[in-house]
Amino acid sequence: MIQLFNVYKSFGSKNPALIDVSLTVNKGDFVFITGSSGAGKTTLLKIIFCAEKPSSGHALVNGRNLNRINDRELALLRRRIGVVFQDFKLLPRRNVFENVALALEIMGFPLSLIRKKVHQTLRYLGLANKEGYYPPQLSGGEQQRVAIARAIINNPLILLADEPTGNLDPDLTMEIMALLKEIHIRGTTVIVATHSQELLKDTRRRIVTLSKGRIV
Amino acid sequence: MKISLFHYFVRQALANILDNRLVHLVGVGTMAIAFLIFDTFVLAFVNLNHWTVEWGRPLTMSIYFKGTPEKTVLESIEKELLHFPGVTVKRFISKDDAMGTLRRQLGDKAGLLDGLEENPLPASLEIILSRDKAGDSLPYQVKRKLESIESVDEVHYSQEWIERFQAIMEVTKLIGIVFGGLLFLAALFVITNTIKLTIYSRKDEIEILKLVGATNRFVKIPFLIEGSIQGFLGGSLALIILFLVYITAITRVDLRFGFASLDIIFLSPQFTLFLLLMSIIIGFIGSTVSLGRFFRI
Repeated sequence: MIQLFNVYKSFGSKNPALIDVSLTVNKGDFVFITGSSGAGKTTLLKIIFCAEKPSSGHALVNGRNLNRINDRELALLRRRIGVVFQDFKLLPRRNVFENVALALEIMGFPLSLIRKKVHQTLRYLGLANKEGYYPPQLSGGEQQRVAIARAIINNPLILLADEPTGNLDPDLTMEIMALLKEIHIRGTTVIVATHSQELLKDTRRRIVTLSKGRIV
Repeated sequence: MKISLFHYFVRQALANILDNRLVHLVGVGTMAIAFLIFDTFVLAFVNLNHWTVEWGRPLTMSIYFKGTPEKTVLESIEKELLHFPGVTVKRFISKDDAMGTLRRQLGDKAGLLDGLEENPLPASLEIILSRDKAGDSLPYQVKRKLESIESVDEVHYSQEWIERFQAIMEVTKLIGIVFGGLLFLAALFVITNTIKLTIYSRKDEIEILKLVGATNRFVKIPFLIEGSIQGFLGGSLALIILFLVYITAITRVDLRFGFASLDIIFLSPQFTLFLLLMSIIIGFIGSTVSLGRFFRI
């Protein structure tokens, strides 16, 4: 599903963000990527959804070599990857319904189907009564759930979550993690980047630790 | 393109305009000013061209005779002129008629003519040439033909003035094309940057759209529609302002001078439609250029 071969990524500064990272994530895996702040977790996720290209090395996602992908293929690949951002990346001037519908609108689904799927997903995430709300009117946990709703609405093959609980209190953290586990059980490959050791305590999931851009 | 996608694009473009009312209002205002300057120039140019055509159309030619021509000579000239399309005989002015006219023109000083022993003024024939029918070479052809007639002394027409005026108009047209082109580029530059501001204010939205898998085309199309709508609104506003200024100016000129002989015309409906279409196209091109720049960032 995801294969990284000797990926090196530098932004021109003295310290590269990723050094010689090789990683394989199989279909249906649930993987935690951890490390301290600046270890390269976010860069690694960005390489996987092609927001950044490797400076050297190769990255293959769902059989596609990201070094040789054109704009259209990239857009189509991203539709198979749901991403939950640490800062949610919701459109403040679109309400909850519109934010979640966005992922379906870009695929040209008819409005009736979009309505049906958005209602279903929001109900599943406990946001049925928040459809008409705008992101600034929601709590952090609610915004995170909207971001998850947008990420999973078109049944992605892979779900990437960058510090999904970073801004949340312990109760909401557990709630979001339970949600991610449920999505994983339904067949989605899930990769969660987190610096929280609390979250990794007692987990039997695979943990990949990064330190100064290297897998340790 | 799927109908649902087309609806989405139009809906999105309109929603974006409403969401970013202030930015769009400034954009439309700026565009309207740019278009107004261009449209005003076009209107001035159209009028100048109109006046040239109007003034240059009827051409009077005077044929001066040696002494008083025989009736048969006049008839043969009239017959000869029938061969030229668009040529009509206006009137024959005898030596006495010419003297009478001169006396009237001199008014109080007409007594000066009393000392003349004989009437020195020649008899003449005035003809009118319509250039609509025969083009610019007609006067030359007619003049050459008439000068070959024995009893004809001289043939005069306002050739020099018209040629000069035509030369000036040619230069004016050239300046017009260059100046109009520069104004067009200036308008495009202003519009492109205005649209760029609109796009820049929504760069986060573009980023999110791309991250959730929107193709470049999907992101760009609503902006192109917005640019075209902005162009249409800016162009319409400019034409409305220009028309109101035109109406006011015409009324003032009529009131002040008591006549409408300046004959200032407004742009024809076809030309107005053309300018409006051009405004839409400029809005579209402006968006395309701005998006191109933005997507390179």
